[in-house]
Amino acid sequence: MNAFWIILTGSLVATCCSLLGCYLILRRMAMVGDAISHAVLPGIVIAFLFTGSRDSLPMIIGAGLLGVITTFLIEFFHRYARVQADASIGITFTWLFAIGIILISVFAGQVDLDQDCVLYGEIAYVPLDLWITDNNLSYGPRTIWTLGFVTLLIIAVIVLGYKELFLTAFDPAYAAAIGISTSVWYYLLMTAVSLTTVASFESVGAILVVAFLVGPPATAYLLTDNFKKMLVLSVLIGIVTSIVGYYLAFWLDGSIAGAMATITGLAFLLAFLFSPTHGQFFKRRKVIPA
Amino acid sequence: MILHVEHPVVEVHDLTVSYERKPVLWGIDLTLPAGSLVGVIGPNGAGKSTLIKAIMDLLPASSGYVRIFDEPIKQVRKRISYVPQRESVDWDFPASVFDVVLMGRYGNLGLFNRPRKADKDAAMQALEKVGMQAFANRQISQLSGGQQQRVFLARALAQNADIYFMDEPFAGVDIATETAIIELLRTMREQGKTVIVVHHDLQSASQYFDWVILLNMRLVASGPTEQVLTQELLEQTYGGKLTVLSKVGDLLRKQEFPVREKRS
Repeated sequence: MNAFWIILTGSLVATCCSLLGCYLILRRMAMVGDAISHAVLPGIVIAFLFTGSRDSLPMIIGAGLLGVITTFLIEFFHRYARVQADASIGITFTWLFAIGIILISVFAGQVDLDQDCVLYGEIAYVPLDLWITDNNLSYGPRTIWTLGFVTLLIIAVIVLGYKELFLTAFDPAYAAAIGISTSVWYYLLMTAVSLTTVASFESVGAILVVAFLVGPPATAYLLTDNFKKMLVLSVLIGIVTSIVGYYLAFWLDGSIAGAMATITGLAFLLAFLFSPTHGQFFKRRKVIPA
Repeated sequence: MILHVEHPVVEVHDLTVSYERKPVLWGIDLTLPAGSLVGVIGPNGAGKSTLIKAIMDLLPASSGYVRIFDEPIKQVRKRISYVPQRESVDWDFPASVFDVVLMGRYGNLGLFNRPRKADKDAAMQALEKVGMQAFANRQISQLSGGQQQRVFLARALAQNADIYFMDEPFAGVDIATETAIIELLRTMREQGKTVIVVHHDLQSASQYFDWVILLNMRLVASGPTEQVLTQELLEQTYGGKLTVLSKVGDLLRKQEFPVREKRS
């Protein structure tokens, strides 16, 4: 049963991240996802300091706010200080993450909210943290409920806002000209990324979040030329990655999150070499007869 | 020479646009007649694209205002279409030609609604108008420059708007596409649509447009083509640039001595 919960957690995180990652990589903003996943830390800590509990809701609100502030700051430095976009990302998230680290070490040292937990998470502990009601009924791991809710929310946003998200990613100027607000959809996307990050950081850590945000979408991008197929494929790749990653970790007796991230990289490498449309292997073969 | 018209479709009043506090357009004041093909002409960096973007409120204006169909832009968005510069988007995006043209219907659909059959039919008709129906399922990364431009045009046509802003639709396209586009623009004019085109080629401007805006950060002229494309106004627009001036001279000489006489 533990294996099932761990794989389910990995798959839920992979689903959220892969879906959002498709939009991020097409907007050339994959590193913004990276930035948000780190920069939400002070939001989480401040939420914890205010409420004194590790309940999900205040943390999600805190992290969501910080995520939006992060994207805003990145835009701000890029546009008004005229720093390059990547430099602006680099300065913003390292700075916010560092503030979070200081807050943890000064104020929250006595609880199990530490740097390791934030960066690497510990997916193996997911089955231990059960949601048990007063009359002793167990509803399974708490994380599954939070992640399941976030996953449903993100799927709903993508299904309902499909055409707006698609258009604003492809051609924001045209979208604005025909009256579709680009900033509303931009910040909605960034809020969704923040939500996903905070819902998954406890269990899988920021690094696996980044791996799932970029890896499966980039792999799917190499496998198809159709955006809807890219969304579906990246989710499938993410889920398969979680399953294979879990068993790799089991076999090696190593870190589960690390193994999942490794498989993400391997999947990309396979697509890079053997994709029927973009793969290096087939490209070479196509060239020879010509 | 700035000519104003009664009952204009586009009315720009004292429009100033700045980037980083540096003005790129100064006090533009113009009106455009309905059902005309308008060319926006001027040297590089004259603010041609900036002007149409500012009219559509895609860029904030430092001062001045714009009215379209005698209304503020926000109320008439659905009647406006835009063909951005081809290079402004990533053509490796995972989308088909049909996907892109269907985007032309998004504005009218509203939030949460999916494209219906009528929308898909409209998109297909727009593709036929630009002669690209055979490419509907083609991946957009496989198109040539001229085909990309036709796809953008089809997207605007699918919208069935009343006024069209086009940013350099003739830039880097083959001659067949250029002819096809100008034919299409003329048909649109016959249907009473207004088309405003950013254009950089002086030679063809006199044949293509019936109203010309000459721009070089300030408005030099706005009026019927034959009254605006004069040596004096072109010199004012292009300044003292020798190469350009000699080109202008060539152009005017061609006008004075038709090709047939030159051969003799």
